[in-house]
Amino acid sequence: MLVKKNLKLPITVVTNFKTFKSTKPMGFINYKFIEPELGNTKLGKEWNNVDRHMAYELSPYDTTLVMDIDYFCFTDNLAQFLDTDYDFLVPNTAYDLTGRNTFDQRKWSMIPMVWATVLVFKKNHKVSKIFKTVKYIKQYYSYFVDMYRVYAKNLRNDYLFAMALQQINGFTGYDKLPLALPTLPPDCEVVKITDNGLAWKHDDKISYIENQDVHVLNKELSNV
Amino acid sequence: MDIGSLKKESDLSYGIAVAKRNALEKAQSRLIIVYKEHIFRADSQTINLVKTLGEVHSSPFYIVDTNDNPVEISNPKEFLQILVQRNQEAISSYHQMSKTFEKKK
Repeated sequence: MLVKKNLKLPITVVTNFKTFKSTKPMGFINYKFIEPELGNTKLGKEWNNVDRHMAYELSPYDTTLVMDIDYFCFTDNLAQFLDTDYDFLVPNTAYDLTGRNTFDQRKWSMIPMVWATVLVFKKNHKVSKIFKTVKYIKQYYSYFVDMYRVYAKNLRNDYLFAMALQQINGFTGYDKLPLALPTLPPDCEVVKITDNGLAWKHDDKISYIENQDVHVLNKELSNV
Repeated sequence: MDIGSLKKESDLSYGIAVAKRNALEKAQSRLIIVYKEHIFRADSQTINLVKTLGEVHSSPFYIVDTNDNPVEISNPKEFLQILVQRNQEAISSYHQMSKTFEKKK
């Protein structure tokens, strides 16, 4: 609903049939059904995040904004990035809404991470090669995780795309979305969501934010 | 002041500081705009650069976007207007939020 209201874009949801059946159907959404690849975990729970590499072939659009289901767009900020000259854009920073700077990811690997929660890409030869590289790295992920000395051994799209972009661009850097994704760390419990924002509980305190996009990492909300 | 009151004051101040920082970050996000298929920040630096080049250099002139790619600016007046409009939209919202924080102190 937020995507429809704020971004005013056609929406395609990639999910499995079981999830589709368990949610209220919305007529304005196109669905693409996949059987998620299982086996990846986070904090001991199944983590359905391994299929991001399929975004290129699953997207029916010339220009696509990919967004995790736990990203709440309370603004139209992202819509404008569909009208750029860039083939592929991804943010490389996140902003901790609790003020603790918990996303200082460089301590956890030799490669600066991107935040593949949000991607913008065009369908063309260059981007096709990026996604082919993503698939290749995914296939040999344990090797690349060791090579880049990534602390987390489970598959994380943020590292997968960071590695692919670094490799395909010849270790020279790549274009980025200049956004710091406003993010709630996993220890924050979302207690209320409205049309304009959300409230969360952390350390026995309730905080809220309005008219700002929010990426919610607490997987009790959605396991993606 | 006893330690309980001090902790309460400190927690309140921390909460206000984080909320204010979040409001500033919200404004920073809002400052990002797309113009002529390139990405810019509608901040004081970009506004001053475009205004200065518009005044002392004939059109078109060239500046770099957030990914350091060069962009031709052929209508500086139009671009400046968009930059200023977005800048003031974001900063006035931040100003409004700041006023609510002052009341909480």
